[in-house]
Amino acid sequence: MNSGREPVRDSCTPSRSPGRACPAVLRAARRAALACMTALACLAATAGDDFSFEPEEFAKSPLTTGGYLEASWEHLDLNQDSALSRLRQDQDLPASRDRLAGAVQLDGSYLKGIAGLHWLLKAAGQLDDQGWLDHADIFASYLSLSPGPQLELSLGKQSYRWGKGYAWNPVGFLNRSKDPNNPEETLEGYLTAEAEWIRSSSALVENIALTGVVLPVWQGVNEEFGRRDQLKLAAKLYLLFRDTDIDLLWYSGSDGSSGSNRSSSFGLDFSRNITTNFELHGELAHSPGRERIILEADSTTATARESLTSWLLGLRYLNRWNLTTILEYYHNGSGYSTEELDRFYQLGAEAEQALSREQREQLLNQARKLSLQGYGRPNPGRDYLYARFSLREPGEILYFTPALTTIINLEDRSCSLTPELLYTGLSNWEIRLRFALLLGSSQSEFGEKLNSNRLELRLRAFF
Amino acid sequence: MNDSPNRLLRPLLLPLCALLLMVPATALALDGEQILAQVDRNLQPRSYEMYRKLINLEPDGSRREFVLYTLKKGEDKMVALFLAPASEKGRATLRLGENIWLYIPKVGRPIRITSLQSVIGGVFNNADILRLDFSSEYRVEQLREEDAHYLLTLKARTTAVAYDSLIMEVEKKRLLPTTIACHAASGMLIKTLRYSEIKDFGGGLVRPARLETDSPLHKGYRSIMLFARLRNRSVSDEVFSLNGFAKVDELR
Repeated sequence: MNSGREPVRDSCTPSRSPGRACPAVLRAARRAALACMTALACLAATAGDDFSFEPEEFAKSPLTTGGYLEASWEHLDLNQDSALSRLRQDQDLPASRDRLAGAVQLDGSYLKGIAGLHWLLKAAGQLDDQGWLDHADIFASYLSLSPGPQLELSLGKQSYRWGKGYAWNPVGFLNRSKDPNNPEETLEGYLTAEAEWIRSSSALVENIALTGVVLPVWQGVNEEFGRRDQLKLAAKLYLLFRDTDIDLLWYSGSDGSSGSNRSSSFGLDFSRNITTNFELHGELAHSPGRERIILEADSTTATARESLTSWLLGLRYLNRWNLTTILEYYHNGSGYSTEELDRFYQLGAEAEQALSREQREQLLNQARKLSLQGYGRPNPGRDYLYARFSLREPGEILYFTPALTTIINLEDRSCSLTPELLYTGLSNWEIRLRFALLLGSSQSEFGEKLNSNRLELRLRAFF
Repeated sequence: MNDSPNRLLRPLLLPLCALLLMVPATALALDGEQILAQVDRNLQPRSYEMYRKLINLEPDGSRREFVLYTLKKGEDKMVALFLAPASEKGRATLRLGENIWLYIPKVGRPIRITSLQSVIGGVFNNADILRLDFSSEYRVEQLREEDAHYLLTLKARTTAVAYDSLIMEVEKKRLLPTTIACHAASGMLIKTLRYSEIKDFGGGLVRPARLETDSPLHKGYRSIMLFARLRNRSVSDEVFSLNGFAKVDELR
């Protein structure tokens, strides 16, 4: 074999055998063939490098639209003896439940001059042993006016995401409650009028933004904010001060006698990169007179008006192996103590042991009402730890992100543990496989949830 | 006695004249920092807008494409908005010096991210997508002159910069980079950038329209960046704020 390192001969030695080809000719032919192949490979590569870019294809249009289609399958092992299962004892709960679901989300905007119309619509349906359930909602629909880069006015339904926390937002006075298991999901907005003023400078405070919000409460509109026919006010002042994001927030809410859990509050949050791979954030919120619905020891329901403080401290850290860690500690001032939650979990058991059907129904109805008034929210306790570890593209598998998330109730030591696999390697597709395991004894938060685990496969196609 | 000083100075006159003649030549020669500053200006105006297509080529022959609209102002303000594909559309990143925020439409609020965090998958990272001027992030440690090229060894000004050092080959004639080798603090080669396809973008800007990247860390993967509509544009400072950058599409 010609190694390529052999000295090249420039003449052909006469062959001793007439039937044998000259070795130099063979080598030359081989080289020529190799050169041809290399040239062809180069041509093929050049042909493959057919990279063109026509930015006109992405020219700005007044109308922009987008969205996604989603299909999912869920398998839940139900915790038939849990407190939240007992609340549904009008139905025969199976040991497990399989659910097929689909959703479509449409978003878009139409801009003309300084005015814009923005929308976000979502429709979803699901099929399980209980039958078919569907709903369609306008998540956002608002008009905006931008007279200049420093001022924007808007009117309509829009969602608020105040706060720096990833799983919880104590300062999210106008936020819709999010599910810490899916904190990035789109949420429905509220009808508001908003004005935003922004100012940049080269001084110590590089950016200032003041947002003022007016939120009306009418019949069927924003009713969870308190009594009807009132206007609620909220404001947020943002400062970028010495490379630190700081928000000062205020909400003028209910007077505490309206049954709303959105009482007047004020707070602050911050976020800062300590090093290039370490970010620190926090929130602090105080409500001077917040109502809390409590189940007393004698099984009566009472309303307590308290001065409550909630806070959160979190970090985001990226290590050399591309592992992102998010850690958050959350103290929920309006949360329930282990004792208070015990009483609620016990209520279902008492209903089961009730002597009469009437008494049973009465206790169950009381528990259902309490569930809606706070005991049934995703994390009703007082102290939590959230941790999420996500590893980007391990083993050089591009667009693949495995992650592990845990939420721990620090008082009763129950927790959820959620490993997941996410793949976005197919253009405009997102595939997520997730398994949530709920761990905890009876009379603990995660031990008394409706299900003990959940397996979910979700496909999203973006357009 | 009176002419003795002249006599003493006479032998020095010729070398002094030669030295004086050499001064303008020295002043005209560029030092490393000047070359780097000129490379920056030849690559892009101080404030500009541009469109980019990023193409990730994978070993199996498949490819993924991303299209970005970018606005930069001054030394340290930059916004990049994804226009395609649909799954990334509306995703925007804001850089103010060492501060980087990411806006994802479905999350609905900007999140401060660590500057080393990757915004999208693939060989590209934030340093490629939100690169400021080279001279803002690097100082010239060594300048070597070759026949047709300068060879600049650049050292990151702070630890916040993604690559600890760069070895930049600069074409002497046009003062444009041809190849950049990016190294980690350990000296390990992270990736190599190759500029090609010199194009007239108008307004006196003649520069490469293509940047190719490969990395020994991602064997078999290549990334191509194509540049278009790169032109001088200055927008209000308020665009480069947490409340403003998610709406940058309205400025296109």
